[in-house]
Amino acid sequence: MARRLAIVLLLVVGVTLIILSGTHNLRQRQSVIKQAQQNEVALTPADASGSSGDTASDPLAPTMLGKVAPAFSLVDLNGKKVSLADYKGHPIVLNFWATYCGPCKLEMPWFQQLAGKYQAQGLVVLGIDEDDGMATKDVDAASKQIGVSYPILMPDDKVSKDYQLSDYLPETYYIGKDGKVVDQTIGAHSKNELEADIQKAIGTGGL
Amino acid sequence: MKLGLIWFWVALCCVPLRAQIQFGEAPVAHKGHVVLVSDALEVMAGEPQVVELRFRVDDGFHINSHAPKDGLLIPTVLRLDSGGGVKVVGEQYQAGSAFRLGGASGEVLDVYQGEFRVSVRMVVPKGASTLTGALHYQACDNASCFPPRTLPVMVAVTGE
Repeated sequence: MARRLAIVLLLVVGVTLIILSGTHNLRQRQSVIKQAQQNEVALTPADASGSSGDTASDPLAPTMLGKVAPAFSLVDLNGKKVSLADYKGHPIVLNFWATYCGPCKLEMPWFQQLAGKYQAQGLVVLGIDEDDGMATKDVDAASKQIGVSYPILMPDDKVSKDYQLSDYLPETYYIGKDGKVVDQTIGAHSKNELEADIQKAIGTGGL
Repeated sequence: MKLGLIWFWVALCCVPLRAQIQFGEAPVAHKGHVVLVSDALEVMAGEPQVVELRFRVDDGFHINSHAPKDGLLIPTVLRLDSGGGVKVVGEQYQAGSAFRLGGASGEVLDVYQGEFRVSVRMVVPKGASTLTGALHYQACDNASCFPPRTLPVMVAVTGE
C-alpha cells in the first residue's frame, strides 16, 4: 500500500514538474518575444508605413518623414562648398556613415552602383562622414578604398543636429524632388531595399 | 524493477525542466554594450604576476579585436594606470574570432563576442589597492555601428 502511495506520489511530482516547466517556459518565451520586438523596432528600417508616430518614446523613430530636408552647406573632400540647395529638384540620397562602420561600407558600393543606374533620372547621392575629428585626407583614402566616387562631405555639428541623428550608423535619408524626406532608414539594408527607396524618391515630388 | 521504472520516469520529467528553465540571470543589454566582469583580484604581492581582466560584450553585438584586419576599424585597447603602488608591466590581448559581415560575400572581421579577456602583467603592493584604467572600443551589431566608447575600468586588488 505504502509502495503504491509512493508511486502515485512520484507520478504526481513528475507531472507537476512538467507543468511547472511548461509554465515557466511560456513566460520566458513571452518575455524574450517582447524583448525581441523591442529590439526589432530599434534595428529595422523606419518607414512611413511602419511608423507608430510615437517619437517621444522611440529615439529611433523616423522623425523626418514628410518634412522638408534641412538645408546645409558643407565642404567636400576637395574643399569645395556643397549645399543641399545645389540639387534642388533632384531626388537625393543622403547617407551618413563613418570609416569605422562595417555595415556602412557594405552599403556604400551599392549606392555607387545605383547612382550610376539612376543618373538619367537625376539621382544625386551624397555621403556625410560622421567620424569624429578624422582628417579629410584619411576620409578621402577610406572612401577610395571603399570604392565610391560620389561627393563625400565633411560634417559640422549643425547638420547632425538638424537631421536628428541617433547613435546608430548608417543613417540614410531619401529626399524627393520636392525636397521632402520620403524615407529615413537606420542600419544597413539590402541592395534591393536601397533601390526601392531610391525609386520612391525618384517618383515623389515631381511636377 | 518497478522502482527503477519509477526513477526513470522521474528523471525523464526532470529533463524538460532542466532544458526549459534558464538558470542564472537573463541577458541584459547595457548602454555601451560592453561591461567589465572582473571586479576584484587577489595577487601575490611584490613580484610580477599575470592576471586576467574579463569583459563581456552584449549578445547580438561585437567589438573589434585588438588587431582588426582592416586598418580603418578601431581596435579594442585597454589602458591601465600605474599608480597607488600598482605597477602595470604590460597587457596581452585574447585573439579575436572571425565574423562575416553581410552574408557569404561580406568582409570577414576579427572581433570579440561574448566574454573576452585581457591578460595584465603587474606588480602590486601588499594589502588593498585599486587598478584603474579604461577600455576603448567600438561596437556594432549585424546592421549598424555605434560611435567609439570608453569604458572605465576599476578593479579592487589585494596583494597577499
